[in-house]
Amino acid sequence: MQREGYVPPTAGGVARPPVYGDTPRQTAMKYLCADCGKSVTLNKGDPIRCKECGFRILYKERTKRMVQFEAR
Amino acid sequence: MSDAAPAEAVLRWCPAPAAQNGSLVAGKQTDALPDFAPSNPGPTAAPPPVQRIFIPLPHASRHRPRCPPPCPGGHGDSVRHAGGKIERERASPASEQRKTRKSPLGPFSSTLVFLSNDDDDDDDRIPFDFAHSHRNRTATATTVIMAITDGSKASRHRQQQHHHHSSQPSRDDEAFAKLLEPIYQGKKLSDPINTAKACADKWALLPAFLKVKGLVKQHIDSFNYFCDIDLKQIVKANEMVVSEVDPNFFLRYTDIRVGFPERQDSDSDAEITPNECRLRDMTYAAPVFVSIQYVRGKAVISRNSVCIGRLPIMLRSNKCVLTDKSDEDMALLKECPLDPGGYFIINGTEKVILVQEQLSKNRIIVEADTKKQIVQASVTSSTHERKSITYVLSKKGIIYLRHNSVSEDVPIVLVLKALGIQSDHEILLMVAGTDMVYQDTFSVNFEECSKLGVHTQQQALDYLGARVKTSRKILTTRKSYAHEALEALATIVLAHVPVKNLNFRPKAMYIALMTRRILMAMANPQLVDDRDYVGNKRLELAGQLLSLLFEDLFKRFNSDLKMNIDKILKKPNRTEEFDAFNIISGHGHTITTGMNRAISTGNWSLKRFKMERAGVTHVLSRLSYISALGMMTRISSQFEKTRKVSGPRALQPSQFGMLCPSDTPEGEACGLVKNLALMTHITTDDDEEHVKRLAVVLGAEDVLAVSGQELYAHGAYIIYINGTPFGITRYPARFLTKFRRMRRMGKLSEFVSIYINHHQNGVHIATDGGRICRPLIIVENKKSKVTARHIKSLKGGKLSFEDFLKRGLVEYVDVNEENDAHIAIYEHEVSASTTHLEIEPFTILGAVAGLIPFPHHNQSPRNTYQCAMGKQAIGAIAYNQFLRIDTLLYLMVYPQQPMVKTRTIELIRYDKLPAGQNAIVAVMSYSGYDIEDALVLNKASVDRGFGRCQVLRKYVTTLKKHPNQTMDRIGDRKSDEEGNLIKKHRIIESDGLAAVGERIEQGESYILKQVPMHTANNPAEGPQNRLGDYKDAAMSYKLADSAYIDKVMISCSESEQTLIKVLTRQTRRPELGDKFSSRHGQKGVCGIIAQQEDMPFNDLGICPDIIMNPHGFPSRMTVGKMIELLAGKAGVLNGNLQYGTAFGGSKVPDMAEILVSHGFNYSGKDFVTSGTLPRTQRNSDH
Repeated sequence: MQREGYVPPTAGGVARPPVYGDTPRQTAMKYLCADCGKSVTLNKGDPIRCKECGFRILYKERTKRMVQFEAR
Repeated sequence: MSDAAPAEAVLRWCPAPAAQNGSLVAGKQTDALPDFAPSNPGPTAAPPPVQRIFIPLPHASRHRPRCPPPCPGGHGDSVRHAGGKIERERASPASEQRKTRKSPLGPFSSTLVFLSNDDDDDDDRIPFDFAHSHRNRTATATTVIMAITDGSKASRHRQQQHHHHSSQPSRDDEAFAKLLEPIYQGKKLSDPINTAKACADKWALLPAFLKVKGLVKQHIDSFNYFCDIDLKQIVKANEMVVSEVDPNFFLRYTDIRVGFPERQDSDSDAEITPNECRLRDMTYAAPVFVSIQYVRGKAVISRNSVCIGRLPIMLRSNKCVLTDKSDEDMALLKECPLDPGGYFIINGTEKVILVQEQLSKNRIIVEADTKKQIVQASVTSSTHERKSITYVLSKKGIIYLRHNSVSEDVPIVLVLKALGIQSDHEILLMVAGTDMVYQDTFSVNFEECSKLGVHTQQQALDYLGARVKTSRKILTTRKSYAHEALEALATIVLAHVPVKNLNFRPKAMYIALMTRRILMAMANPQLVDDRDYVGNKRLELAGQLLSLLFEDLFKRFNSDLKMNIDKILKKPNRTEEFDAFNIISGHGHTITTGMNRAISTGNWSLKRFKMERAGVTHVLSRLSYISALGMMTRISSQFEKTRKVSGPRALQPSQFGMLCPSDTPEGEACGLVKNLALMTHITTDDDEEHVKRLAVVLGAEDVLAVSGQELYAHGAYIIYINGTPFGITRYPARFLTKFRRMRRMGKLSEFVSIYINHHQNGVHIATDGGRICRPLIIVENKKSKVTARHIKSLKGGKLSFEDFLKRGLVEYVDVNEENDAHIAIYEHEVSASTTHLEIEPFTILGAVAGLIPFPHHNQSPRNTYQCAMGKQAIGAIAYNQFLRIDTLLYLMVYPQQPMVKTRTIELIRYDKLPAGQNAIVAVMSYSGYDIEDALVLNKASVDRGFGRCQVLRKYVTTLKKHPNQTMDRIGDRKSDEEGNLIKKHRIIESDGLAAVGERIEQGESYILKQVPMHTANNPAEGPQNRLGDYKDAAMSYKLADSAYIDKVMISCSESEQTLIKVLTRQTRRPELGDKFSSRHGQKGVCGIIAQQEDMPFNDLGICPDIIMNPHGFPSRMTVGKMIELLAGKAGVLNGNLQYGTAFGGSKVPDMAEILVSHGFNYSGKDFVTSGTLPRTQRNSDH
């Protein structure tokens, strides 16, 4: 892995990024309220708020995927 | 790790963790008998304190077991027995030699078997260790190996050895015989027994003090004073808003109060917590309510609780939700109970308003410039209305008054004439009194005045008026010169001396006094003031700075209000009745944003005082608990850093006990940035009137009623209140003692100070804020007022520190009053002239320097280095450290409290949030990878978690709303042709945010943010410029080292924008180049991580965690570190914690006793075998 190596500047400026006109898909995700700990299901664009206690900080749930650690 | 600064793990070079049995009790034990019984290491083994007096010497402790002390302490037979046994066993082979040869080692030589190393050619070597004497001695013990984690193993080892020797019961008799001798251990039988335990236990006042005052409390007190008192005074001074259009209109503020912090989005009524503000990037602020009376139509309306803005609230102040919360409640609020508070949260960042140091206001400072032959007395007048500097100076023997508002220097006699003292004789008496020398020096000034043709007040005023600079608008009618001069003299010159009803006498008196000080300095050049003297300085705290700011903003708020009211009242026909309330409620942001901006940028720019100060606030450093705490006690000075004068930087003797002598940065800010000592308090303003009344009652005569002759008569002392002459007394000493007695009785504030200045024949009373003071025990008639009985009730919780003050046992003394005091440090030093007794000597150090064990044994710069380094230590930061999302946070995975602690460590609770680990340190040379302060780490230790730390980083973004109604958004993750996520989006979940717990590599995205192509209000029309177009602005991980997603927080800020914070976590183990440090300014980098099998080991198989090169010691002279090593080893063997408190702590002889009793060398040295060479290695001695 390259560590802090010199990165030459890309010639010709940055390529024009792709443009998106459509709105992202509506998907529901589960979050945890930071205050009461209840699970909150939110769609994109929903106001960020716990439905139980009205607290406005939510955390993402931990992934269900397996995570492998290198235990040194 | 390449992208970040090298992890600075700081750990202690001292023994490994040991049982922590009752820290406080263990502390007492250290003063007590060294515990000989390996089976009895706990607090129970501590003898009753009475016995302690017999055992300061190792001799005593050695013999004591066999001759029971005269007190009935029927405890720990095993202790005595074990102790005795050791003694017998050890001493036996040595008894012969002991008589013949005196060892150079003092007390130990008799304790230890002195077997000269007959097989050793180095006979200058220290006597050989008894513990190893039976072993093959091919090498001398050279290495200090510090610890073993298993105390029982060591004791078994010891016992095995000791069974080689037979006990000698005869020594019991010998010791008993000693008891019968008239002098036992240097004490006669008739010697008084020190029963006043107050002497030993008076430190108990310190935790009691810290409960009510000290460290961060000054910030909090100052803020409380601002909210509760200062705010009301500011509003009172600016209470009326009138209209120029409608003479009938007025608006009056009748009251002001600060509410409790609350949400702005008030759809939820739950109280807002500081932690929520930190997480949501909000400001922790409370609304400010005023009560108003105003004219509406023809009626006067009163309204209460009108909000005029929001004031940031200091954490733990009396307006904070955290006040008086129990630890459990704090946990529920997700706040750390050990967090000191005293800072603000502005837009999610923690901001501290540092204490500012400046020259005291409204006091005369006399300075002399010997080169230019100028003597000047200057006064910085400071009132709520005006700030100005007035000088009285002598140039070539002639004295002038200089002021910014007067275009040239004015002869002083002329000024005094303008102030209404017309007779030359009166002037002469007022300035010089009857002193011939002063009269002669001053007389030329009369000539100067008459040369200008000024003889009367009118002439003087005309002369002065012509030279007064007027900044007034041309609109106002031109006043006569005399009028202008009078106004300038009344309000601008010496603004802090009030002129009531055109009575200029107080002001004339003040100027005469300044002139007299100049005459005195001219006659005797030693009578000048020292700018650097701490008594001439005042500390400005958050409260004072905020009150300056608030005053400015409130005035602006009122002038805006007035303008708006005028605008509406000007309109001839109004549709509805004018209600000023609507305007006031719509103006809230002036104060709110003004406050927020000043605190978050640190720029205090007040137009009125032409004050422009940058860098007033700083972000609270959360590098470690200590760095946060150290920041709260920091004092920054207003001096320029570039000026090459050593005065302001030097350590002032008057700093004693007030400012820490060790804790200052190195380099450009050295000596300019200071830190408060442990037991200090900074005063807030007190009422002057009360003091004035008391002074009159105590016999002060009005200073304005006496002539100069009486004023400076022999034996007459002028009483100054806050620098302004108030009265005169002919019995200054009596006045002083009476005044102090009244203060001790609680008849006036405990922070009012009084002191006498014999040079100026003045008694000075100070009630102003910003003075540093500290509590001392009062001594009367050679007796400390605090007795053992008081300490007992204090410990029992029946008395508090406040009670000690109220009962007149303890009083606050400021720097000036300290000059009148004769302070004994220990009770036995109390003499007939002693007035006070120090509570604890180690309180001269600050919180950061207090962490150093045995600092009194170190070379002083080492302690200063340590103060800078201790703040970088990695450890635990707060109990809520995992609930916080900081930009960068270093945490230690297994922090340990230090083996050798200090009282300060307990008081600031560093043992609860430690930074560092205890390590077994071998001081020896090894491998050549340890030169130039490099360290050798044990790989096995590192594998087991030594020095392991975590790095938490925050990545934050907000989804902004743009002016053209577009908004940032979170895009979708992308897949390739086969339907798999592309590599960059590997860990993104369906909401466009990284999955929690996943590992993130360089280049991978964690927030798929998209921003609109056009955010301007009027985009150029065209087919490719559609309004709904977005482009990618995904945030991706930039660092080369991978991390794990620890947390993903979504929330919304105060302006209802979505706020996303991603916290990443890296776990790091020590590697080459990481910096490690002890607590003695001894830092080093890791030079090699050696395999454990290559490391040296001793006969118990103990292997060091760290090997440190002995070259670090001779030139640096950190003897404290060597004692720490010793005490740490002893503590680990004993299974308790030792103390390294400054000017106290565990005694080296006691530590040696413990070591010996566990079969180790008294000096902490150990005998090691090389891990690489095939035989036992003979190391070179250091």
